[in-house]
Amino acid sequence: MPPDARPLSGVRVIDLGWITAGAGTSTMLADLGAEVIKIEGPGAPDPFREWESAANDADWWNRSPFFASTNHDKRSLCLDLKADPGRAVLFRLLEGADVLVENFRRGVLASFGLDPATLRERFPRLVVAAISSQGETGPDRDMVSYGSTLEATAGLAALTGAGDKPVITGRDVNYPDQVVCLFAPGAIIAALLERERTGRGAHLDLSQRELTTFLIGEEVLAAAAGAPTVRRGNHDPLHPQEKIVRDGADWLVVNGATRTPVRDAAALIEAPEFKNGTAIGVTLDGRPAKGIPFRFGKRRLAVRQGCRPLGADNAAVLAEIGYSERDIADLQASGVIATAPRRKNTV
Amino acid sequence: MASPLRGKRILDLGAVCRQPAHGLAASMASKLCMAYGAEVIRPLGPSGEPFRAAAPLLPQGGSALDAFLNHGKARDGHVPFDAAIGDSAALGEYARETTVKVRLSVYGPGEDPPTSELALAALSGLLGIVGEADDPPTRLAGHQLAYAAGLSACTGLLAAFLAGGEEIVDVSLFDVAVWLNWKGATGMLIEGMPLKRGNLRNYWQVMRAKDGYVALVYQEKDWPALCEMIDDPRLGDARFATTQARAANLVALRHLLEPWFAARSRADITRGAQSRRIPIGPVLAPVELLANAQYEARGALGPDAKPRLPLVWDGRRIDVEAFRAA
Repeated sequence: MPPDARPLSGVRVIDLGWITAGAGTSTMLADLGAEVIKIEGPGAPDPFREWESAANDADWWNRSPFFASTNHDKRSLCLDLKADPGRAVLFRLLEGADVLVENFRRGVLASFGLDPATLRERFPRLVVAAISSQGETGPDRDMVSYGSTLEATAGLAALTGAGDKPVITGRDVNYPDQVVCLFAPGAIIAALLERERTGRGAHLDLSQRELTTFLIGEEVLAAAAGAPTVRRGNHDPLHPQEKIVRDGADWLVVNGATRTPVRDAAALIEAPEFKNGTAIGVTLDGRPAKGIPFRFGKRRLAVRQGCRPLGADNAAVLAEIGYSERDIADLQASGVIATAPRRKNTV
Repeated sequence: MASPLRGKRILDLGAVCRQPAHGLAASMASKLCMAYGAEVIRPLGPSGEPFRAAAPLLPQGGSALDAFLNHGKARDGHVPFDAAIGDSAALGEYARETTVKVRLSVYGPGEDPPTSELALAALSGLLGIVGEADDPPTRLAGHQLAYAAGLSACTGLLAAFLAGGEEIVDVSLFDVAVWLNWKGATGMLIEGMPLKRGNLRNYWQVMRAKDGYVALVYQEKDWPALCEMIDDPRLGDARFATTQARAANLVALRHLLEPWFAARSRADITRGAQSRRIPIGPVLAPVELLANAQYEARGALGPDAKPRLPLVWDGRRIDVEAFRAA
């Protein structure tokens, strides 16, 4: 590998991730240099394609800005995993892959014949990142949650809020979905390091609820030792003088003579440190995209290719794994591969 | 048992960083490295452990924050280290020769004006969009921004190890905070739409139940099931017929729903919602997690109830406690 090659150059990732937790994890692997193929079913496209702001154009599924921002630097394969020939394609792709990322409802992957034991046995070098709300096991395994549900069940919401009432971050942040995209890529890379030593892949069972509790670990430890849990609101005991005060229609963080504005997004995007920062990148086709929360001194990390239209890479990906033009045409004709979802936009 | 960083020696400069946010981020990143099998050395400066008296405190004495982040780290260790994590000044003083450096800053290499997690949340736009419309901006509990920077730092460090050779991984606390708020920034850049606290799109809410609170979380597709569960004919009004109509009548909707939730326990509400696959869940306090069946079944908490590395690797925990048990 050339010395300036990105850290995951040569690593191949199959991305079955949805919305943020799974898809964002795969994107960070792409940012680090991995080749990522995102697979969505014509009957089950990534639901992020139809969150609000997706325009009602003829190809609405390619129009969601949040989806596009998340899914840059990936190839797109639209493949029906409920059909036998579709699963055969997936299996062939997994034979040449290093990493599989998925955050389906628990049990869905098993219904495709890919339960954890089968995955480990059939693809012994594969690192599987199974990201879920509650984890693969336990009595709440099948509990359905979005990010903010987990803020509630993990203990974060109970401690958050300036008044008496717990606060969840809601749809605009969905905090547990964000932080898992910082943690899970690390776990995956750790498993790739372990594989260098042992030759064996791994099944990584990542519970977003557990991660959220881990991030208030000191509070759980204190509660277990019998300390009363204190809701501190906006008070940070490490900065006891600091407070939030009103400033006309706005708010300020005040600490002695230092006054920091509580910015809205309009002020944020005008700030020089935002423009110089790496949090939001720009794709080669000029669109803003979710960026990278660190930089490397010797290897340039950057957002590159924009989000591909659904199924835009069907033929190329299949040809690479040995499907002939005739095979590909047949799969297209039978609807196993597609370039549009089967259903209409529900928003 | 998997131990991907076995044999690696990591210098944790969290106790000698100039600012608490940097120190917390370095402490978290090195804690994660320890869970992945590294030996972690945490030297102290002349004033000792900076978090030894930091809240929350333990009744028997000491800081739960310090215990959570730093238990198991060694005070002294011999060079060379495989990696060091700290701010610019600490790295310059302690780790000039270290192959992989993870450098924490406010805005980027060398840009370290005095800051705090609250100020960073304010500047990133994250603070302003959390909380209800009439409430002040709301800080997430604990040390979320520093810990998120710690997660980033650990992921960057692991990637540098995989790449091999010398590397400096720069983690800007501000960039991490903005990254968490990417929807706010992206929404503004693409649509000129600043997200606001309590905006009508953000219709997920905390509702009072008989014995506490639940998080009322649902998407468009869950609305028919929610109506069926609440079973109030007024939910069939035109005011609530579409996502847009519900957003416009959010206060009225809330008033309509409140008595139903207030009359039921968290467990009953959750059971009813989950049986209909509506993603509602109870607001649980940390003390309630200690006897949580899910966490018990998965061994999510250690013997002293310290949350363990949130990762099950080939069916097993891999952190220090698991290693000792093995």
